[in-house]
Amino acid sequence: MSDELDRIRREMHAVLQQPGVRPDDSLQITRRTFIHRSLLFGAASVGQTFAWWPLLNTIDVAHAAEAPFKFAWISDTHLYERSLNTRFVDKVVRAVQEVQAMDPPADFLIFGGDLAQLGKIEELELGVELLKDLTIKKYYIPGEHDWYLDMGQKWGELFGQPNWTFDHKGVRFIGLDTVSRGPDYWTAKKMTPEERMGHMATLDGTVAGAWAGVGRDQLDWMQKTLADWDKSKPIVIFSHNPLYEYYPPWNFWVRDWREVNDVLKPYTKVTNIHGHVHQVLYNEIGSMRSIGMLATSWPWPYAPEGLPKLTKPMIRVDPGDPFDGVGWETVNVNADDKVDVEYIMWGRKEVFVQSPEDHDKSIAEVIRSRIADKQYPWANP
Amino acid sequence: MINTSTFLCILRRSIVAGAVVAAAVVGPASANKDPVTPKQLKLYQEAFMEEVRKGDLLFHGDAAMKEQLGVKLSTTGWACAMCHPMASDTHPQAFPKFQASMAKFATLRDMINWCIEKPSQGEKIDPESEAMKALEAYITWSNSGSVLVPGKY
Ligand SMILES: [Fe+2]
Ligand SMILES: [Fe+2]
Repeated sequence: MSDELDRIRREMHAVLQQPGVRPDDSLQITRRTFIHRSLLFGAASVGQTFAWWPLLNTIDVAHAAEAPFKFAWISDTHLYERSLNTRFVDKVVRAVQEVQAMDPPADFLIFGGDLAQLGKIEELELGVELLKDLTIKKYYIPGEHDWYLDMGQKWGELFGQPNWTFDHKGVRFIGLDTVSRGPDYWTAKKMTPEERMGHMATLDGTVAGAWAGVGRDQLDWMQKTLADWDKSKPIVIFSHNPLYEYYPPWNFWVRDWREVNDVLKPYTKVTNIHGHVHQVLYNEIGSMRSIGMLATSWPWPYAPEGLPKLTKPMIRVDPGDPFDGVGWETVNVNADDKVDVEYIMWGRKEVFVQSPEDHDKSIAEVIRSRIADKQYPWANP
Repeated sequence: MINTSTFLCILRRSIVAGAVVAAAVVGPASANKDPVTPKQLKLYQEAFMEEVRKGDLLFHGDAAMKEQLGVKLSTTGWACAMCHPMASDTHPQAFPKFQASMAKFATLRDMINWCIEKPSQGEKIDPESEAMKALEAYITWSNSGSVLVPGKY
């Protein structure tokens, strides 16, 4: 697997990391970004790099907005039915209360997918019920956990078209569906909807394969949507999966990142904000910036390989505290050409590692993909 | 310098001597005293991989395997793999160690039981049970490329 990953990664760099290509130059790296200058130049030890880090956990990302505003992001709530699991419910309630209490209020909320854990009607409806207490405008994109029980039927009834676009105060926002175009792994094996969902709901499963993608039809739609948009004006794209390749075995990518890049290449101020990884993540891909958001439910560990060098890792969490390593985000679009993302991680003053030992990968690991789902009856021929 | 045929000759003689001694001391039919056969190797490996497979299923919340082994690893729908995909971040290579979350010197089995009880809200399992051995087999197998660093935080 590693060789294959290496090959893909080299290809991605060759295609996207052309000499001199970076996100727009008007973006200054400041104390509030989580890319450190010394990391960019490959200097300084980890300890030195992180020593001066400010308390405010924000990043500066882009652009010229007409007027300053804020919006909020919640995702990856992974709700079970209330009778089975109340912890996940408690965390959604907390996030909703905190977003509702924002002053000045957020202009809108983006829900970044994985509302439900097993795509059940009861789970999705519970999510709607909990988010009802939040009175600002809400936009939803789907996660794989919302989709593969009934192939998006209930999700569509509740939230409508999974991809959408709107303009707000000089920024064009686009919501993408990166989950619904998975290859058919269920028909030939005569899976029940529950079995199909079960494989999809297993992050490290091997049966559902490379399901994350934007798809030709949606790429064409995005291209059309952007055709009338000034190349130098800000665009923020929401997706459940990151729009580049980080770790394909866990679908920490979209498989058609090349085509995504082709569509976005002409635009100089593109920010991608995504869920699914349940972790602090930052990367620059060609002229696009990409930011990973926390879940409210639980944190995923960083992948065993491929963590973008530009990411300042989040702190290793205490698994005994259900409110650690999780939370929500405010996104601040300022008049002075900045978009700040502030991670609200409950139970932590420090969101980022303070020393190498705070990083979950301070213990090096070489791990294998699972085997039990590679055997009968799920084995691929 | 010893040439090949001399070397083989010495080797053969010592094998014969060894076989005689072994036969005299422990008698026949002792598996560990006989040279291992490919068939045996295959059996040993299969026995191990069967435990890995069971552990993989337990680790991923498989209801049938939990029932078969009589364990209740979670009461809230949680599975080990939800925090540890591919057994990532289980760090079997760092045990035994002082485990801060338990405030004691702990083994991997202690850690597994702590995770079952606290985050997973399940019922602790017997450290000698088949379920524990299967989980241990899966976690260590998955991490078999990792370097031992016992005691590391
Ligand atoms: Fe998720
Ligand atoms: Fe997801």
